[in-house]
Amino acid sequence: MIKENNIKFIFLSLSLLLIILIFFFPFFWIITSSFKSPEEIIATSTTIIPRSFTLEHYNKILFNSDFFIYLKNSLIVSFSSMIISIILSVSAAYGLHKLKFYGNKFVEYSLLVTYAFPGVILLVPIYLLFAKVNLLNSYFALIIVNVLFATPFAVWMLKAFFKLIPNEIEEAAYIDGASRYVVISRIIIPLAAPGIASVAIFCFIISWTEYLFASILISGDDLKTLPVGLAGIVGQYQIDWGFLLSGAVLASLPVILLFVFIGKYFVSGLTEGAVK
Amino acid sequence: MKKNNIEGWLFVSPLVIWISLIILVPIYIAFELSLFNVKIIGTSGKFVGIDNYIKLFGKSKFVNASLNSFYWIIGNAICQTFFAFTIALTINYKFPGKKIMANWIILSFIIPTVVVVVIWKLMLSSSSGVINSVLIDIGLLNEATGFFSSPNKAFISLVLINSWRWSPFLALIILSGLNSINREMYDASKVDGANFIQQFLFITFPNLKSVLFVLGLVGTLLSFNIFDIIWLITKGGPSSATTTLPLLIYETAFTKFRISQAATLSIVTSFLLLLFSIIFIKSMAPKEND
Repeated sequence: MIKENNIKFIFLSLSLLLIILIFFFPFFWIITSSFKSPEEIIATSTTIIPRSFTLEHYNKILFNSDFFIYLKNSLIVSFSSMIISIILSVSAAYGLHKLKFYGNKFVEYSLLVTYAFPGVILLVPIYLLFAKVNLLNSYFALIIVNVLFATPFAVWMLKAFFKLIPNEIEEAAYIDGASRYVVISRIIIPLAAPGIASVAIFCFIISWTEYLFASILISGDDLKTLPVGLAGIVGQYQIDWGFLLSGAVLASLPVILLFVFIGKYFVSGLTEGAVK
Repeated sequence: MKKNNIEGWLFVSPLVIWISLIILVPIYIAFELSLFNVKIIGTSGKFVGIDNYIKLFGKSKFVNASLNSFYWIIGNAICQTFFAFTIALTINYKFPGKKIMANWIILSFIIPTVVVVVIWKLMLSSSSGVINSVLIDIGLLNEATGFFSSPNKAFISLVLINSWRWSPFLALIILSGLNSINREMYDASKVDGANFIQQFLFITFPNLKSVLFVLGLVGTLLSFNIFDIIWLITKGGPSSATTTLPLLIYETAFTKFRISQAATLSIVTSFLLLLFSIIFIKSMAPKEND
């Protein structure tokens, strides 16, 4: 028995070390690098512990670039996409969960398969469609697409959360004469709130990180989102690393902040509720 | 249970209409385009029937990109399964700091892909990257290597970077499956003298079937769709080694301005993915027992 525990301990320590090195160290690296002097960032001898400290990159990106315009655009697009996604997917997930109707299995699987169609396959025709109906260069173009990307998985997750709500609570409410609307707004939504919060984060993240469509559907500088703005710097021949790194840190900050407050719902939602 | 046809459809229809409009209308447009010979967006071309389709299958670029996509899916599936299971099984144990790690392991998934690109471009840089200098210090390399300079190295690096982004998210979904396994089964197996490898093979793995089904389907499709990580790092190079089908479509439409060809590619690709999905669902869907 002791021998097996030893093996377990070695396995556990090794994999913990591996996980920390692979999945956490890179963040330490770019954050510290974003405060290094330009010379230290590109020096051939890399320094794990920074030798220099400067705020010049942050100064440059905050006060000498379009960062705030991109930030505003990203926030508008992500929040709107999140709200629309939540409304549509809560309704659909409830329908799929509670109301057995003709074709429900078909809708369920189609939603999963919908993952096949987004992405680059739809890029050309959506571009043409939006050009025809004059939607290019608008927030709404991105919102339409983001909702499409976020909702299939959102419904799948929400359904799992709804399943966790005991049927008896709902039935008792009906016996007391409550309508479907009251049951949903007073019982289902409050009880599934942590689940809905985690799905909301998921929708926000999907929109916040979207690059491909944002880069094609938006051409005006005043409407570009953060990922597109950042990618513009990545593509330059001579990369200004300090500028790029501070931009990368700042572009991640809003989702990280959001995650600090409701991240635990997202993780516990994913690990305890989803896909059961 | 009795059927609620009208009410049921009322609840799902807003989403179903939204999704169908944004998928079906574009697919129709793409199909129409694929029968014409349109080059630059906005211009008109002449009707060529199924010519675009016939030409497509003879093109070495299409064959090359399909193979790359195939290797991309396989490579990502292997790497992500390894990383995701390592993370999930590790976090499933008790150790100090477990909660913090479980919450923050997903960091690589919540940041924009562009940031993922920035991180790895810096870490893997041939002139000043930390990975190169560490590998040289521990004697695995004699001199700095360009991780994106040769076809094989670029492809493998990209697979690893993409797996780095997705594995933590998949790990959490696997964890949800692990949490749903009845603890008593492990205790019972211990009484019977099973070690932890046997426990994994005969209890953990079989009980994850429904989770693995969703991951197998969605994960494959999501891997296939990856565009930005590849495009922003290698642009499909060197010598088209990392040009997967999504990159080929993008290139054809927006750098070569062959809209009809790109539309044809999109249609063929959608068809292949749909076929894969149907076969996968028909053969692997777990039996519902609720």
